[in-house]
Amino acid sequence: METINPQDLIATTSAFPLPAAPWFLLLFKVIGFTLHAVPMGLMFAGILIALLMHTAGGEHARRWSTRMLRQMPIIVAFGINLGIVPLLFTQVAYSRVFYPATILMANQWIMIIALLIFAYYGVYLMAIGLKGGRERLTGKRMLAGWVSALLFISIGLIFASAMRMMADVGSWPQHWANTEFAGAVTGMAVNHGDPAVIARWLMVFGLSIMTVAAWIVFDAGFLGQRESEQYRLWARGFAMRLFVIGAVWFAATGSWYTFGTWSPAIRGEMFGFPLIPLTLVTALSPALVFALLVIRPGAVTKSTAMIVIHAQVVVVALNAVSRQVKQSLELAPFMRVSDEAVKWQVSPLLIFLVLFVAGVGFIGYLVKRAASEAREIEAA
Amino acid sequence: MHYPWWYVPHLTSPMLIAFIATIHVLVSHYAVGGGLFLAVEVGHAHRRGDRDYLAYLKQHAWFFILITVVFGAITGVGIWWTIGLASPLATEVLIRIFVFGWAMEYVFFLIEIAAAFLFFYYWDRVRPGTHTLFGWVYAIAAWISLVLITGITGFMLNSGYLRGAQPADIGFWQAFFNPQFIPQVLARTGGSLLLASMYVFFHASIWVKSPELKEKIGKRSARPALLGAILILVGGVGWFINLPEYSIITLQKAPALNIFMALLFAVTVAVFVMLYLGPYRNPAWMTPGFGILFLLFGFAAVTTGEFVREAARKPFIVHNVVLSNQVLAAELPQMQVRGLLESGPWSRALVQARHPEAVDDRGKVLDSTLAALPAEDRIALGAVVFQQACNDCHAIEQGLSAMSHLVIGWPDERVHDVARRPERYQHFMPPFPGTDEEARLLAEWMISIRPDPPGDMWFGDEPRTVAAPAGEEE
Repeated sequence: METINPQDLIATTSAFPLPAAPWFLLLFKVIGFTLHAVPMGLMFAGILIALLMHTAGGEHARRWSTRMLRQMPIIVAFGINLGIVPLLFTQVAYSRVFYPATILMANQWIMIIALLIFAYYGVYLMAIGLKGGRERLTGKRMLAGWVSALLFISIGLIFASAMRMMADVGSWPQHWANTEFAGAVTGMAVNHGDPAVIARWLMVFGLSIMTVAAWIVFDAGFLGQRESEQYRLWARGFAMRLFVIGAVWFAATGSWYTFGTWSPAIRGEMFGFPLIPLTLVTALSPALVFALLVIRPGAVTKSTAMIVIHAQVVVVALNAVSRQVKQSLELAPFMRVSDEAVKWQVSPLLIFLVLFVAGVGFIGYLVKRAASEAREIEAA
Repeated sequence: MHYPWWYVPHLTSPMLIAFIATIHVLVSHYAVGGGLFLAVEVGHAHRRGDRDYLAYLKQHAWFFILITVVFGAITGVGIWWTIGLASPLATEVLIRIFVFGWAMEYVFFLIEIAAAFLFFYYWDRVRPGTHTLFGWVYAIAAWISLVLITGITGFMLNSGYLRGAQPADIGFWQAFFNPQFIPQVLARTGGSLLLASMYVFFHASIWVKSPELKEKIGKRSARPALLGAILILVGGVGWFINLPEYSIITLQKAPALNIFMALLFAVTVAVFVMLYLGPYRNPAWMTPGFGILFLLFGFAAVTTGEFVREAARKPFIVHNVVLSNQVLAAELPQMQVRGLLESGPWSRALVQARHPEAVDDRGKVLDSTLAALPAEDRIALGAVVFQQACNDCHAIEQGLSAMSHLVIGWPDERVHDVARRPERYQHFMPPFPGTDEEARLLAEWMISIRPDPPGDMWFGDEPRTVAAPAGEEE
């Protein structure tokens, strides 16, 4: 089986046309991934950092940790549901590589569901310990939090493996040969030894640390307006330090990922014209958030909070775009989304777009109404 | 055949879908019905200024969030995971037809989550009207999610797809408003109301101590449950009327389904009787024992109903579009000429790598080359054919509908004939998606795993060894 040409394992284009042009599907895949990556980053790195601060931090650090851990059930709920759209559009556009890749590693891929259930209930167990104004986690609640943090980090590793497997079509024959039974796939393939998997996983962890730092600013300036001036001052300083750690981590692991695991051909494309501006902007974009933190000194304000979180969303979005471009380049020798027939589903698409915009606006309206009424009632 | 096949020993991979989907259904229906219950009851309690009832409803809302937002959401994602692994072709087809339906559902999921958290975390912190509004926003968004997903599951059971139509001709709306759509929306809405009431009885029977409050909860939640029971009946009749003809025959023909249908009927009747006699007429019966038993009966009714609904779909995953062995109905005739091993990229690559003598100069797998293979290779390729064509529903030697058990006592000719034309023996079997020679490979493999008939059965002595009755000797 080692002699199999990987290209031969790619299915022919589907008899069922794409419901929209590839650019639209990939655009929504990127938008969806960006929206997912923000809460995902908070789950991936935020629980761990918050628990560390809860254990070893000072007064303000513990206060932030308590705030963060209380928010975590809501963050996880949105993180999971916001993951639906990128997965949906990945399956539409890349069915010919997504399904074989995940089937090859089916056992660990499906394990995500079990891990996620335990991780999410662990988050609730932990957060319940902070209800009713309690500020400190007991040992068992803390343990639940640590277990959840480790489970989310493990889930991140499996995702990194799956995305790598999807783009690494060349490795399929070997994985298949190692794990097949009468030509069928046993789902036992493992590629955690692939440096690209580890580098990518660690790089996303670095990006997640930066997202946590931006969230600290957003939380202090926007959600935590009742917190003291000292707390909001501390929040800015801590966010800056954490952001630097995340940026250094991101730079180190991103360099390993880029220069240590990309093929020369991919590197040539990403560092050649016309893609080099995108690559450089993606690599340097964290500097934008850092610069904003530097030029807006003092206690975090509402406007600083909004600017910083939006800037971090831009950083995440640029990573999502570069990730998409690289994925397309890696898959180009094996398949192109543009090879598929297209038959626009105009009216369902328009309804979705209208609902998407209206839905986001409506959620914003509900949150605003809740917050303003809560303020009025408390003031009364 | 377009994708690699995931082999799960003993169980078969599609059973994982059934397992996760069944668990999910028990929670997702509660997510809809429970939302409606909370919206109606919170509005009622606010209007009456009933603090005790509001306190109970808050407690129930927390239970509701822990069950639906966590377990319901993740098992819903779990269905996505498993269908992509165990039924990739059907998933690809459905996702290309319905991607914007799922995308719309995603928007409603987000609204649901936001409304659910606002409803709970802003309890007593917003005006009663706003609080009730949050409840209704959740309830309506959850019900629309149910409507959207039902359009897709209804299409799988009766696509309304015309014979000879091309895949590109299947439009979103035509597929969405399939003959099963309205009946299933009614039945699922009813099921949601009924199941939600059972969760309420269960929860209240354990956590509520006040007899007055118990009586109130019992009375008030029994009403939507009775409405749910009526909707289930109406929707169930519509579901049966709009089944394809082959599904109706399947339900009547398969012994296991006869038993499940009888069980479904009996359990459903028991639930209706328990509902009427218990919470509606005698709310004082709401003890933990009754609450647990009632919920378990509800689970039994729902899971049995789901099993019957799924089984009635065979030999299709998507009616008239995708067969249960991951073959497009439109591609079947071509595969029967071209060959199963040649048609699938993974099976073709396997033969080229492992059995190069079975391919011609152009790398094609041909009947003539397969016929010339030694017996050992033919059996090995028969196992490959089995995985691709049969393992969706049949384990090998032990497990779910194991092939070795099915062929016990069959003469070779029958094995060959069933392998070639399974649909002639059971109409809910898909036609064999390969050539005559590939059917022979499959049959030879089936014969190779066929065990001897069990040796511990006695049907009287062999006729020749039995002494003839007195007076009849020659």
